[in-house]
Amino acid sequence: MFPGERVPISSLSSSIDVKARREAMEKLRQKFLELLKKVLNGEEPKMIIPKRTLSNTIYDKERKLLLLGSETFERNFLDMREARKFMQTVLMASIIYEALVNNEYPTIRDLYYRGKHTIRYRDHRGRVEEENTWDEQRESDAVLRDIEVYVGLLREDMLILSKEKGKVVGDMRIRSGDDVIDLSKMGHGAYAIEPTPDLIEFIDVNAEFVLVVEKDAVFQQLHRAGFWKKYKAILVTSAGQPDRATRRFVRRLNEELGLPVYILTDADPYGWYIYSVFKIGSITLSYESERLATPKAKFLGVSMTDIFGDPETGKKPYLTEAERKNFIIKAKKTDIKRAQELMNYEWFKTPKWMKEIDLFLKKQSKLEIEALTGKGLRFLMDTYLPTKIETQDFID
Amino acid sequence: MSSKSVGDTVEKFKSISPAEFFYRNKEIAGFSNPARALYQSVRELLENALDATDAHGILPDIEITITRDKSKSFVYRITVKDNGIGIPPHYVPDAFGRVLFSSKYVLRQTRGMFGLGAKMVVLYGQMTVGEPVEIITSPIGSRRVYAFKIMIDIKENKPIVLYKASWPKNSDWHGTIVRVAIEGDWGRARQRVIEYVRRTAIVTPYANIVMLTPDNEVYVYRRVTESLPPPPRETKPHPHGIDLEMLKMLIKSSDAKTLEEFLIKEFQGVGKVTAERFMRQYGFDPNRDPRTFTQEELEKLAKALKEYSEFRAPRADHLSPIGAELIKLGLQAILKPEFVEAVTRKPVVYEGHALIVEVGLAYGGAIPPSDHPILLRYANKIPLLYDEKSDVSWKVVAENIDWSYYGIQFPAPLAILVHVCGTKIPYKGVGKESIADVPVIESEIENGLRQVARALKAYLAKKRREEELQRKAITLIKYIPEVARSLAVFTRASEPKISPEELEKKLFELVKRRLPEFPTNIKDVKDVVLSIE
Ligand SMILES: Nc1ncnc2c1ncn2[C@@H]1O[C@H](COP(=O)(O)OP(=O)(O)O)[C@@H](O)[C@H]1O
Ligand SMILES: [Mg+2]
Repeated sequence: MFPGERVPISSLSSSIDVKARREAMEKLRQKFLELLKKVLNGEEPKMIIPKRTLSNTIYDKERKLLLLGSETFERNFLDMREARKFMQTVLMASIIYEALVNNEYPTIRDLYYRGKHTIRYRDHRGRVEEENTWDEQRESDAVLRDIEVYVGLLREDMLILSKEKGKVVGDMRIRSGDDVIDLSKMGHGAYAIEPTPDLIEFIDVNAEFVLVVEKDAVFQQLHRAGFWKKYKAILVTSAGQPDRATRRFVRRLNEELGLPVYILTDADPYGWYIYSVFKIGSITLSYESERLATPKAKFLGVSMTDIFGDPETGKKPYLTEAERKNFIIKAKKTDIKRAQELMNYEWFKTPKWMKEIDLFLKKQSKLEIEALTGKGLRFLMDTYLPTKIETQDFID
Repeated sequence: MSSKSVGDTVEKFKSISPAEFFYRNKEIAGFSNPARALYQSVRELLENALDATDAHGILPDIEITITRDKSKSFVYRITVKDNGIGIPPHYVPDAFGRVLFSSKYVLRQTRGMFGLGAKMVVLYGQMTVGEPVEIITSPIGSRRVYAFKIMIDIKENKPIVLYKASWPKNSDWHGTIVRVAIEGDWGRARQRVIEYVRRTAIVTPYANIVMLTPDNEVYVYRRVTESLPPPPRETKPHPHGIDLEMLKMLIKSSDAKTLEEFLIKEFQGVGKVTAERFMRQYGFDPNRDPRTFTQEELEKLAKALKEYSEFRAPRADHLSPIGAELIKLGLQAILKPEFVEAVTRKPVVYEGHALIVEVGLAYGGAIPPSDHPILLRYANKIPLLYDEKSDVSWKVVAENIDWSYYGIQFPAPLAILVHVCGTKIPYKGVGKESIADVPVIESEIENGLRQVARALKAYLAKKRREEELQRKAITLIKYIPEVARSLAVFTRASEPKISPEELEKKLFELVKRRLPEFPTNIKDVKDVVLSIE
């Protein structure tokens, strides 16, 4: 090729991208051509879509997963209440399809902007009115989710990108696109987990477990201190609520490489929920749990008994009376409320979790992971974490 | 206390002429201040012009011109030109120069009936500006045009003719032009004058009325129909409407030789059979000459005439209702509403006189919404503008009727027209601007109003149903182009290609089939969805 010659984007894309693209296009097209045929044959244009509601979210005790139930609803264009949503759904599908055809990688924000325009019409009183195809991204996001469950394709499969949030380091090599990346040679930085983790190929790995840290800052400290080298770990952070890519990536580490997964969060209801999202899935995205959840993930800490000890089992607290005084934060009203909500979720109704939540409600106090590094990074790295793992002091 | 001598307290007796009476009491006739006087003058002249046309089967063409004097402030000239029957030249001086001289002192419904209006204008002009009234007239069928300049001798109540001329007519115009100069206040009269003419136009949709104001604005009310209400016919009095004095006058002017003949000839609703029964019941001798009746006998006769219940009800053919059709046309033409309805009620009797109530209703369209119905009141086709709140119509419209029952929620764009016509109308006060709440009139207005309001209710219900149908259809149709375009995207890669237009048509058909009743005014997606530039 000569300098300056125009290169079609597709030939620059990785081969794995091209394949994913073709498959998504085909599936999307099949589904919506069905609708189109109905219109041409004078049949009612309707989609049968699985319901994405709490009532249709089922906790599978066996597999320990939040799954989408079997309830469906009908989105019929000729139904007054569904007409607008129907329009939004086919509009969104057409934009995604066009992006696939044009070798693009839109974000959900792109999709929102591409589909947003004004419909001008005359109302029943003869006044000229204007209405947007959608007003807020909340609306376009909602129909995107409908399309995911209707077509059976996750957004990653349709090459829709979201912001990269999760990071990983460790003694491991992967293929992303057409490149091989050595995750042990990231310097002070880390590999940002790509939005389409299914397109990653694991080449080889030299590790014994995966440690997922809620807090980015703690991740960096452990990385620089050489935690993953010393303890043969793959170190991951979700930097707060985990995005889909991080969850899928962790799941693959567990499922395909057989590595145990330990999760380290703040000792508060939000930390617990982050853990449960990793482990069993979230309510809003229950339809993806099958692919995103890691049912075998374990809650390593920080637990209430780490802070206060457990007279029942004779467990000693990791913090002294004085340290507790310094590091503990008083729980807020919203924390209490959230804890009470969690108690109602099926998947928190285990003796260990009940003990954890009861203790929280009793003490009305919470703790950040940073409190442990406050006691000394070495304490976290060489005492707390190895002891917890060795003594299997985690909640399953 | 006083330095007056006893002699000073002796009263001086004298009588004054009718002209002088009204000269001294001009407010009685509505000339209390310059603004009101200007309004009243336009009114009197316009009413005379209409009486000279529509009451005689002529489609009115009327021009009103009001100009401001260039040098003298508060001096205005009013000119009213009509195409009426004109005035026979020998009557002109008295018609404009003698108070209480009229051609309308008969039992027949006209706007004027007191022989006062034109003279008050002349008197007032004479007092304030001092110029004579100018009249140009050509009676229908006459080959000449006559011109006069007249003033009034107030002490003697008789015309002073200052100028008189006539010339052969070379067009086929007939009618009258009257021109007076008066002191007025256009600034404060403006709104009322304009409103008066507008309201007149509502009940005379068969008239062309043009008005030029001192502000050089032109108001044009075009004729929207050629049909006139039937002219009122003169009628005889009904026995129930009579009193002792009237009875004496009738006997005096009648050439009947016997009581029986008198009763049959001079009253309406009295035939031979009725007359005989009446006289038998009260013991009157049919062959007596009524002229020989004593005072006592006359009193007995008057009382019996009022009392006897077997007379036929008073006739109404001397009345001139506007008619439901014309009311609707007028409301439609001037208010430009979306719905009109009107009703002319059957004649009823009020103190021996027939009386007809008409009610019109206009809703929506260009009518501005307000917190209560806009009330347009008329008595014998004359708009009533003042004292609205004390009128019986107001009571009915604002108090007796629960509008929510008829589907009206205020503020609403609603106008109500009430026309009361009759040879005897119970006005409140001397201003004659409002009608008293007499039970028979109140119930007539209320029943009429309920009749038209029911029609409105039905119309609104139908409209709401249609709107609901349309709303439903539009809820779906507005999304069709977007859905069609989106679905067509999926066919691009495949054969055969399907165009968004084709899909639009199919979707439109689907929507049409889905809705059991489909609004007839939506023929295409493009009737609903507009393109965006
Ligand atoms: N424009 C006119 N055309 C024909 N006759 C008129 C006109 N104006 C006035 N008259 C005659 O003059 C008479 C007196 O008028 P007016 O003083 O207003 O009293 P009224 O209208 O009560 O009879 C009327 O009865 C009518 O005969
Ligand atoms: Mg008059």
